[in-house]
Amino acid sequence: MSYAIEVKNLKKSFGNLQAVQDASFTADAGEVLSLLGPNGAGKSTTISMLSGLLAPTGGDASIMGHSVVSEPESAKKSLGVVPQDIALYPDLSARENLIFWGKMYGLRGATLKQRVDEVLEIIGLVDRQKDHVDKFSGGMKRRVNIGAALLHKPDVIIMDEPTVGIDPQSRRHILDNVKALNRQGMTVLYTTHYMEEAAELSDHIAIMDKGRIIAYGTHDELIKLVGRETRIDITINAEGGRVLEAWRSTEGVARIDALDGTLTALVDDSNRVLPRLFDAASKVGVRITSVDIQEPNLETVFLHLTGRALRD
Amino acid sequence: MRIIDLALKDLSQVFRDKRSLLFLVAMPIAFTFFMGFAYKSGSDNDASKDTRIPLGWVNNDGNGYVSTQLFEMLSNSDSVRLVELTSDTVDESIRTGEVAGALIVPTGYNKQVSAGNEAPLTLVTDTNSTNGQSLYQILRTSVTKLMSAVEITHLSAETIGKPNDASELNEAFASASQAWSQADSASLVKVEMVVESAPAENWYGDNPYNQASPGILVQFAIMGLVSSGQILVQERKTRTLQRLMSTTMRSWEIVAGHMLAMFGIVFTQIALLVVFGQLALGVNYMNAPLGTLLVSVALSLWIAAMGLLIGTVVKDDSQVILFALMAMFIFSALGGTWFPLEVASGTFAAIGKVMPSAWAMTGYQNILMRGLGLESAWMPTGILLAYAFVFFALAIWRFNKMDV
Ligand SMILES: Nc1ncnc2c1ncn2[C@@H]1O[C@H](COP(=O)(O)OP(=O)(O)O)[C@@H](O)[C@H]1O
Ligand SMILES: [Mg+2]
Repeated sequence: MSYAIEVKNLKKSFGNLQAVQDASFTADAGEVLSLLGPNGAGKSTTISMLSGLLAPTGGDASIMGHSVVSEPESAKKSLGVVPQDIALYPDLSARENLIFWGKMYGLRGATLKQRVDEVLEIIGLVDRQKDHVDKFSGGMKRRVNIGAALLHKPDVIIMDEPTVGIDPQSRRHILDNVKALNRQGMTVLYTTHYMEEAAELSDHIAIMDKGRIIAYGTHDELIKLVGRETRIDITINAEGGRVLEAWRSTEGVARIDALDGTLTALVDDSNRVLPRLFDAASKVGVRITSVDIQEPNLETVFLHLTGRALRD
Repeated sequence: MRIIDLALKDLSQVFRDKRSLLFLVAMPIAFTFFMGFAYKSGSDNDASKDTRIPLGWVNNDGNGYVSTQLFEMLSNSDSVRLVELTSDTVDESIRTGEVAGALIVPTGYNKQVSAGNEAPLTLVTDTNSTNGQSLYQILRTSVTKLMSAVEITHLSAETIGKPNDASELNEAFASASQAWSQADSASLVKVEMVVESAPAENWYGDNPYNQASPGILVQFAIMGLVSSGQILVQERKTRTLQRLMSTTMRSWEIVAGHMLAMFGIVFTQIALLVVFGQLALGVNYMNAPLGTLLVSVALSLWIAAMGLLIGTVVKDDSQVILFALMAMFIFSALGGTWFPLEVASGTFAAIGKVMPSAWAMTGYQNILMRGLGLESAWMPTGILLAYAFVFFALAIWRFNKMDV
């Protein structure tokens, strides 16, 4: 079967810099695929090649079965691109922008008007449609920026870090939009350096670093790469010595260490193990003052794979 | 269709900005007036010395009575200033502008006239120049008067010695007036040859706006690129160009859309200035309407292509202004929009003559000052189109190399 997005050995060099090196991944129709990676990983460069703005140095990619190299017109027809930077005319209103972009995608007349109204509804800017874009907050601009890519109802939408630098409310609105669009059947390629977003939205995640795809899988598959143990950081109201012995022998605790006055335990299932830890503490007369449960996350995975933090 | 949508978007952005109207319409009109006044007062001062049209005098018939009379008459004229020439210096003198035309008295003229025969004088001039036409009118009147005088003298001579009665006087009078009315003035002075003349002392012809109007028009059409060039820069700065290229628009369609908008702006501006020149300043663009249209379209295409090129070369708004001003100065000064290249010095004129702006001026002035028709517009139009093509090709080349 064919994929909605298929990237095969894609390469791009800028002089000596290999911005994208042999990237390969696929997205099935109707799924959300996240491209997760720190700044400079090569996410935008990959997307520029997918949207026909940059010619690949090597390899190929296809959108709905159409190669972006050999049939860019057909590939673009199925594609909506939300660029990383706001790409709107600041001196035109939100509505005028949408109308213009709709026309550029070949929409006309009643269809155009209807789509513009629908999109304004989706991005929640019906009330502000007549205002010039340069009067908008960052979050509102980002929403129009997304709206402009939705007008022609593309099969595939690519969003390049659509939530950078905006207020929590607009971010929530955008994430909900992505989910809603996906429910309607749109395939979404979502790039981000926020692991929470990738975790919340994606069916599959491709982790990118230094131009390479270093891991690919579902959220759970990626987490398994670092093992399944949950880390629990505990502080108590006494010396650690007494309770440490008791906890070491508690069932389900893989290891426990005292680090800077905090006891750090790695456990296989915090729901099962935590009550036992409380019991054991009570028996030796120690009071637990705080518990911090850290499920393994994509941040941990990235750390595990690269030795660096996702966010710098 | 999408090309037009893109162009309309550009236009709405340009005309939304009130400063555009200032650049595109208000300033050129103000400057046309200013330049027109400057030429007029400048030439008034020079001309207070001698405003008479220089006329070459070639006498191939010795010192006959009639030709001497004519020489006296013209020498005392307020309209012409006689310069004595020989037959072989006539063409050269006209070409260099030393004289606007030359009157040739043929061999045997005095004898023929004294015998009462018709004998035409020959006026060599550029019939298309205003001065050439003025000379013809002046000479026709002068020579007609002279011939009438000769006729009266004839009649008087015939009646001398007859009884001095009333009938005698009546007869002389009747004959004189008859001679006056019958004299076929057109046949008295024959315009024989057309030599393309250098500009007359008033190089702008009879209307100072003949130079100011097209000159300012060309200059400000280039200046207008400040507005339209900024649209392209904005498009890159706002990343909308990037988005445009991710739609199904092909890159040539994007270039064509912007080019169309610039053409629309430049052409509208030129059309407004032409109408203004025609109606308010009496600059006769409608002497050859199709010629004016052809030159204007070709000029607009060249300037639009240059705007496109500037838009692809510059990095920000201030560079647009810088480049547009540079283009304006280079093409205006060298292209003869401030003063005609004919009055400039050799090298300057030589460089200037290859400029597209100079060809635009030639195109307009063929129509305005030289009174020529549509045919005179073909050459300037063709050259402007060639320039438009070259600039357009450069712009496309730059556009494709541009980082998006
Ligand atoms: N046009 C370009 N010319 C030169 N280097 C570039 C260009 N675009 C991106 N790069 C470089 O390529 C690398 C990847 O950049 P980018 O794809 O923007 O990363 P991301 O979107 O993941 O932050 C970076 O080192 C960046 O500096
Ligand atoms: Mg990026």
